[in-house]
Amino acid sequence: MRSYTSGSKLGALFYAKLLAGICAFLIVAFELLSNFMLKHYSETYARVSRQYAEAVNVRPGRPGEAIPVLIVGNSLLLEAIDVDRLKGLTSGQMRIYPIFLEATGYYDWLYALQRLFREGSRPQVVVFGVGVDSFLADTVRQDYAPLVLFDAEDSLGVASDLKMDRTATGNLLLAHSSAFWDTRSVFRTQILRHTVPHYEELVSLLKPQPVVPPALQFRAVANSRLERLRHLCHTYGAKLIILVPPTPSSEDAIQRMVIASREAGVDTLVPIDPAALSTKYYQPDELHLNPEGAQLFTSALANFLPKTLDHEQEVSPN
Amino acid sequence: MLFDSPVYFFFLIPVVLLYWRLNHRAQNIFLLLASYFFYGWWDSRFLALMIGSTTMDFLIAQKIVSCRPDSNRKKWLILSLVLNFTILGIFKYFDFFAGSFAGALEKLGVHNIPLPLIRIILPPGISFYTFQEVAYIVDVYKGRIEASRSFFDYGLFISLFPHLIAGPIQRPSHLLPQVQKDRTFDADRFFDGLMLIFFGLIRKCVVADNCALLANAVFGGQFGPSNFWLVLLGTYAFTWQVYGDFSGYSDIARGSAQLLGFHFMVNFRQPFLAPRLQDFWRRWHISLSTWLRDYLYIPLGGSAQGNWKTSRNLFITMVLAGLWHGANWTFVIFGAIHGVVLSVERYFFPSKVGSKGTDVPQRSIGFLSLWGQRILTFNILGLSLAFFRATSLRAAVQLLAGLTRFSWRPEYASAFFMLCVFSIPLFLVDLLLEAGNYEYPFATSPYAVRTALAAAALVVLALFSGSNLNAFVYFRF
Repeated sequence: MRSYTSGSKLGALFYAKLLAGICAFLIVAFELLSNFMLKHYSETYARVSRQYAEAVNVRPGRPGEAIPVLIVGNSLLLEAIDVDRLKGLTSGQMRIYPIFLEATGYYDWLYALQRLFREGSRPQVVVFGVGVDSFLADTVRQDYAPLVLFDAEDSLGVASDLKMDRTATGNLLLAHSSAFWDTRSVFRTQILRHTVPHYEELVSLLKPQPVVPPALQFRAVANSRLERLRHLCHTYGAKLIILVPPTPSSEDAIQRMVIASREAGVDTLVPIDPAALSTKYYQPDELHLNPEGAQLFTSALANFLPKTLDHEQEVSPN
Repeated sequence: MLFDSPVYFFFLIPVVLLYWRLNHRAQNIFLLLASYFFYGWWDSRFLALMIGSTTMDFLIAQKIVSCRPDSNRKKWLILSLVLNFTILGIFKYFDFFAGSFAGALEKLGVHNIPLPLIRIILPPGISFYTFQEVAYIVDVYKGRIEASRSFFDYGLFISLFPHLIAGPIQRPSHLLPQVQKDRTFDADRFFDGLMLIFFGLIRKCVVADNCALLANAVFGGQFGPSNFWLVLLGTYAFTWQVYGDFSGYSDIARGSAQLLGFHFMVNFRQPFLAPRLQDFWRRWHISLSTWLRDYLYIPLGGSAQGNWKTSRNLFITMVLAGLWHGANWTFVIFGAIHGVVLSVERYFFPSKVGSKGTDVPQRSIGFLSLWGQRILTFNILGLSLAFFRATSLRAAVQLLAGLTRFSWRPEYASAFFMLCVFSIPLFLVDLLLEAGNYEYPFATSPYAVRTALAAAALVVLALFSGSNLNAFVYFRF
């Protein structure tokens, strides 16, 4: 027997359909609004999209020309490198193409690099710098990265590498396809920033503390990741350099990273010994360099990076 | 398939649309297949286990009905209970008890005992569907219900997807007849189902997920060493998180069921307005607390055998309730705290005993006294939830040890403010629901008003939900 609708309940059915229509309208409206806000108001989206578009067009330099260098990393590099100054200090030797996205790690950039290479980008050197804990983290950034750095194939690859279940995979794919789904937390952050006093300070406390794994696990994970990155760059004719930005209380982790890189046959660049930098060069979060620290770091990077390319060996002030 | 993920709605909408085009027989078969797909989407490895467990209890129930004399019926009942709890025990508690045994031997100086510790993955929803199967077998044995003759009907009763992973635990006498009878489309209930889903999503994605940020930061140590303010912040944040999370889940489950013409029992009734812990358990996870009452507490003797035995029965019931939540000593302590407080409450505030050996709620009390008791009960609950949330007993004790330190940091004010932003609206909604005895806010208002409310709820959802999908707390159980 087929089920039926009683005639007295048509009011409810009408409003149920109206509600479904409102849902559909709001979904479309939020998608359009998110697209508009992203393209017109998001500094992060504007910066990363521009940097990505420039990086896609990188081609190898001819003999005697400046070497194209792609520098990718998270906020540690964003705050630590004065890009214009670095370009000025290294002009003639290198063409610098940075892409910096905050709160990203190994998997974000592994797949971003894969996509860049696939789309024709051919830097001769890839400088990779995300901090040791982010390099070892088993996560990707859930907003911006799926939209700007990955395509659908990469999203599936990320999901497979991170052993995501089907629901999380579907979520990542949707974040790649929908501006609203990708950036919906940005709305919340903006509202809370204007509602909750000192929200920025609070947010820094709400982020989980990075955990660096014990030595054996560190070595195994770091080696396999370094090897995979090196192989990817090598396949497309690029030399990989791991750039280790300074962070307080990370000396031990940095040393272990340098050793792991050496074992994987990857050059490591530690332009500034973290022990040599006092806290006055850091921002109040004690994680990112302040403008003075950035001046020091950029100068050191401009000094050591060309030497690394010349000598093709590890260069470190240590 | 998480209820708060887009994938769930990509699944639910076509299922609902197709379902109402089928006749009753086809509806049940279609829903059973959809439910197995839903379960398999989560983890296909355990689908066979659930189908096997369902088949086993279906066949045993047939045996119980057809068996003579009565002693043989009892044997089949015992066989079913042993099998069900063995499966649950192996998958949920084996490593816990083996590990605890090994730990005890280590303390006695016996080292390197070759215990068969195996990494067992917990099958999703096993605690929930096992309890439903047990309830079915016991009810068939006691003659409260007739055994289902159709495997499809029984299979659907066990695995109907809205309640499959985390309840509400459905009673056979309530849900099975709904499965067996024709279901007609009721537009009122369909609309109410949509409203329950919207408000459930708000509870989960807006209240619970935002409170979780604070609770995770406190319990994860991001705010620094524990002190009085952090204990308050962490336990309050987690209390609102787990309430928003599970009541939101239950609302979405009930709403989804209503879209399909089923009615699920109410699982939460404003629990934080309970003046005492015994009242709290009449309002919190009602489907579990009534299951424990009917299938454990009353068979143990309930409250009809004097104070001492009542306290014993309460303690056993609550410890097992704690253990049901997870294989960890933290849950045992959580249950034990509730068992002790419930016994103490009964001593100081004796209740009348009902005909079934259960307590009957007392008369109303004064306004100030009522709110004083509510605040006290909320704080006792919060402190007990420190054990529920902590990853180990040591972590819980370390957190609570901070209660004697009062060092203040300016960031705490922001954190408490954020907690208020997300918890107070839910608290006000609870006051509204308590006053009107509604299932969702403004449930009796005209449709136009409710539609506007739902649209507003969607906007709030879009603006305040985070970017990460957070699994429901009770999906672990």
